[in-house]
Amino acid sequence: MTTVKPILLAEDNPRDAELALAAMEEHHIADKVVVCHDGAEVLDYLYCRGVFASRQQGNPVVVFLDLKMPKVDGLEVLKTIKSDANLRPIPVVMLTSSREERDLAQSYALGANAYVVKPVEFHQFITAVKELGVFWGVINEPPPECSDPIE
Amino acid sequence: MESVTQERPSTPPSIQSEPVPASHPVLPPKARSLIERFTHWSIERRVLAVFGLVFACIVVISAISYRNTTVLIENSRLDTKSHELLQLLGSVREALGTAESGHRRYLVTGDESYLTSYRTVVERMPEYLRYLRGMTNERAEQLNRVELLERLIARQLGAEADAIAQREKLGYEGVRHLALSGAAKNELEGIHGLMTELDSAEQRAILARVTQSAGSTNSTIVLLGLGALLQLVLLGSVYFLIHHDVTERRRVAAELHSRGELLEASNKELEAFSYSVSHDLRAPLRHIDGYAALLSKAAGASLNDKASRYLQTISGSAKQMGQLIDDLLVFSRMGRQDMLRTTVNLDQLVKTVLHDLRLDLQGRTISWTMHPLPGVSGDPAMLRQVFVNLISNALKFTATRPEAKIEIGVVRQSSVEVEVFVRDNGVGFDMQYVDKLFGVFQRLHRNDEFEGTGIGLANVRRIIHRHGGRTWAEGALNQGATFYFSLPLARSLK
Repeated sequence: MTTVKPILLAEDNPRDAELALAAMEEHHIADKVVVCHDGAEVLDYLYCRGVFASRQQGNPVVVFLDLKMPKVDGLEVLKTIKSDANLRPIPVVMLTSSREERDLAQSYALGANAYVVKPVEFHQFITAVKELGVFWGVINEPPPECSDPIE
Repeated sequence: MESVTQERPSTPPSIQSEPVPASHPVLPPKARSLIERFTHWSIERRVLAVFGLVFACIVVISAISYRNTTVLIENSRLDTKSHELLQLLGSVREALGTAESGHRRYLVTGDESYLTSYRTVVERMPEYLRYLRGMTNERAEQLNRVELLERLIARQLGAEADAIAQREKLGYEGVRHLALSGAAKNELEGIHGLMTELDSAEQRAILARVTQSAGSTNSTIVLLGLGALLQLVLLGSVYFLIHHDVTERRRVAAELHSRGELLEASNKELEAFSYSVSHDLRAPLRHIDGYAALLSKAAGASLNDKASRYLQTISGSAKQMGQLIDDLLVFSRMGRQDMLRTTVNLDQLVKTVLHDLRLDLQGRTISWTMHPLPGVSGDPAMLRQVFVNLISNALKFTATRPEAKIEIGVVRQSSVEVEVFVRDNGVGFDMQYVDKLFGVFQRLHRNDEFEGTGIGLANVRRIIHRHGGRTWAEGALNQGATFYFSLPLARSLK
């Protein structure tokens, strides 16, 4: 692993973010995680603007997207990502509390790559987040970065 | 009804049904009891009674008018005959005069040509008289007169014939006195008197009939007017009732519509509510459990037994609340979710459910008795939930038994529905609490005896009700429980 491609975690709730980070900590992938606190920030990150104007170029290896977020909600972010040719290859995993059929259907219709319901139980939550992080961040081979390959 | 409203014009309808005060002096007791009965009737019976009354009146009016008209027609027929009779009488009078003058001229002159007209009259007379008899309208009085007239005419003509015969035999001198005064002077007087009687009697009859006809015409006109009025009243009330009914229906439809809208709005609200329940209420629970876990990990070594038990309790409670929320959401979803209607093979369904529950079956000694189940009409996912809940319950409440016995089968099957049971030999329940079994959050066991949220059976009932079936249960403490539900059979699937 010579390239450190970030995992983007969009989570408006700082506690959820902290718990997710704690889960990833166990597998030492927490340092790869970039946390955004609302949809607008996610889009700023992806388009390298605002506070992320000076970040290193390149797409994240995966985006974990909460559905309900202030400013721009998860589904809107998903829609933007999947309708942008440059961003479309990024795997997007919906990570949400909602088990509603409507949310599931809409997410998949917009092109989500996976949909995970956050379990209430911490151990299950840790396991889920860990496995997701490991699968998408380590095991899964990300799409080639055609526009701006990373060293 | 009229008299009631007259008596108490300002009485509101609710009090109107009270009996009329006994002190009322105007109405006889019989009429009063009738009115009392009428006011006690329902509005439908009243309408029916009034309509029946009006209808009966119209029928009576029609019958009387019909009879009057028949009388008029009969009178006009009789009048025609009467006029013919009068005319005929004139002809007969004229003919008799001709015969009289003819025979007298012959008697004087002896000229045979005068006899021609006489003979014609004699020939025709029987025919005249027959007609006359037919014109009397079979009234005995007139018929007698006609018969008398016939006899007198016969005598007159006979006397004249005799005189003619004498003239032929004896010549003018022999019949001179006859020629001067006429052969049948007496008869002729009688005949004229009789004919005048006939004439005036007929005129009287005509006059009587004219009076009768005028009377019945007048009464017919009045009755027809009354009938028309009643029909107008009937039509008016029918219009009023229909109008009233239609307005009422429109009002009800509008109300239903607005209630439907309200219901839809409240359903949407409920959906939004359960959405936020599912999303927002779970987050803090996750945090409680998560931070408790992090705390126990961070400080685990330094915590005493009591402190770590507290932490475990915090986690356990959070998990339990999570489970409650999940179950409640399922319950709410079962109530509003659209339902499929397909044929569901229950045998297959039970097999899948047992396969899904295989983890719960590990380490348990269970004797299963599975009877064949029919195909039913319903939503596969919902019915699956029914079996999951009932079988999980059976497993849960037999956990204390060395050998659990679970039996699934059919109690009764009719042409349209089937009654299925799930029986276990578990801890059972006291029948006095049977009504609480299917309620939401109703539990018959403490949580430390058997875990659960108290939603499972409520869900079973809700699903079965949505399928048009029933649920019930039988059991006894420590002697197991049997849960029943009915479902429409696949055959009756439309």
